[in-house]
Amino acid sequence: MPHSQASLSAQANNRIDRDKIPVEVKYHRRSRILELIYPKQNTVELSSEYLRVHSPSAEVQGHSPEQAVLQYAKQNINIEDIIMQGSYAIKLSFDDKHDTGIYTWNYLWDLAENHSAYWQNYLKALAAAGKSRT
Amino acid sequence: MSFWRTLFKRTNAHPLDEKTHTEIEKIISSVYVDPYLGADLVSANAIKSLSREGKQLKVSISLSYPAATIQKSIINILEPALSQLEGFDTVAIDVQSNIPAHKGQRAEASRIKNIIAISSGKGGVGKSTTTVNLALALAAEGASVGILDADLYGPSQPQLLGVPEGTHPQTRDMRHYAPLNAHGLKLMSMGIMVTEDTPMMWRGPVASETIQQLINQTLWGDMDYLLIDMPPGTGDIHITLAQTLAIAGAVVVTTPQDIALLDAQKGVSMFNSVDVPVLGVIENMASHICTHCGHNEHIFGQHGGEKIARENHSELLGSLPLQRQIREQADAGLPIVLAEPDGEIAKLYKEIALRMAVNVAQPGLITPLPKITFVDD
Repeated sequence: MPHSQASLSAQANNRIDRDKIPVEVKYHRRSRILELIYPKQNTVELSSEYLRVHSPSAEVQGHSPEQAVLQYAKQNINIEDIIMQGSYAIKLSFDDKHDTGIYTWNYLWDLAENHSAYWQNYLKALAAAGKSRT
Repeated sequence: MSFWRTLFKRTNAHPLDEKTHTEIEKIISSVYVDPYLGADLVSANAIKSLSREGKQLKVSISLSYPAATIQKSIINILEPALSQLEGFDTVAIDVQSNIPAHKGQRAEASRIKNIIAISSGKGGVGKSTTTVNLALALAAEGASVGILDADLYGPSQPQLLGVPEGTHPQTRDMRHYAPLNAHGLKLMSMGIMVTEDTPMMWRGPVASETIQQLINQTLWGDMDYLLIDMPPGTGDIHITLAQTLAIAGAVVVTTPQDIALLDAQKGVSMFNSVDVPVLGVIENMASHICTHCGHNEHIFGQHGGEKIARENHSELLGSLPLQRQIREQADAGLPIVLAEPDGEIAKLYKEIALRMAVNVAQPGLITPLPKITFVDD
């Protein structure tokens, strides 16, 4: 069973940062946007495609950066289910049957904070590999 | 008070005027500081109400931890101090424990107010013995407590609690099981599902599956605290528990020696990475008093627990000595908190248990959980 323990150990020693735990997680089915509302009233919107291609699952990230598998043709992906993992993360189930990504609060925060950089990197990697979003 | 009065909240009690109210609060806060809350009852928000009923002053106090012992001393201290007040003939003080619940639990475990994981990195530091004694200490203070023995490979809670060999939990549908009742604690353990000498030869996924069944298929009922006796290490069972349950907090047990501290640190880091607050560190086998000469020796070194607690912004809940009785009585199925409830060791366990209970009740320590919704737009 693939899982995301690699990301767990990488985040060890981090203290719980309550500002990074959303008070509400809202998924907009038609626009395919995951909306995260944080306690200090700041709201973040992440597309399901962005979340899917950056899934922390070992199926995507591998067990080291060299093993990472480039995800493509995920533009129209939808999130089917969101399940709490204890009190530290959510597990997203996508409609392409990918459901092994455990997104910790810190990881989601990082995805939001570095959104444009990560997204540009992804588009570059797609182009370099000759793949497309659709 | 009659039943109907209670039902309709109709009493003869009247609120006090502001001046008297402040005066009473001043007296209460000056004569008593709660040893566990570390504050007086007024600043700890423990005063539920102050009122007058005829010539009687009524004081209602609500504590966030089980406090059967401390209740009496609160009344003994406050009563003489408050009876000095003019305008009242008598004083009636009511002290109750209202243990707050950790939110966000899944349906199966939603009636358990607080789940506390008792863990250690290393095996053999006395986790199980500590767990059972802490559970009994909380129960002795008036809380309803259960133990989930999550050590599937080496369950020891049945023996520690003197459960006779061959006892099995009751079930009607072969799916849901009633926990055993042992010395007033609810207990679920792999040790009561199989015979004593059956080894569990399982790979990780089976162990994960089984621990989920032990949680979800046990009819726990209402409980203030469920203590989880964790297996040593940071493996499958730990991850599964952290993912399945909203654990209110974790306590790390360690001996003061360096090699145990190293593993304890890994345990602390594991809880940090799954957002489970560490309620504190318990130092076990901290010292040994020679039975022949009375010499006190720190066999495993000194201040180790304190160090690890400080480095992780946590608290040393207490230190326990290495003592033969603790081991003997545990092996005999009558842990020391039961066997010698008024002894020194039982007092230490009670002290640690209440500090733990106060920490888990602190609102700042309760991890908030988000609301998850789907909308069609």
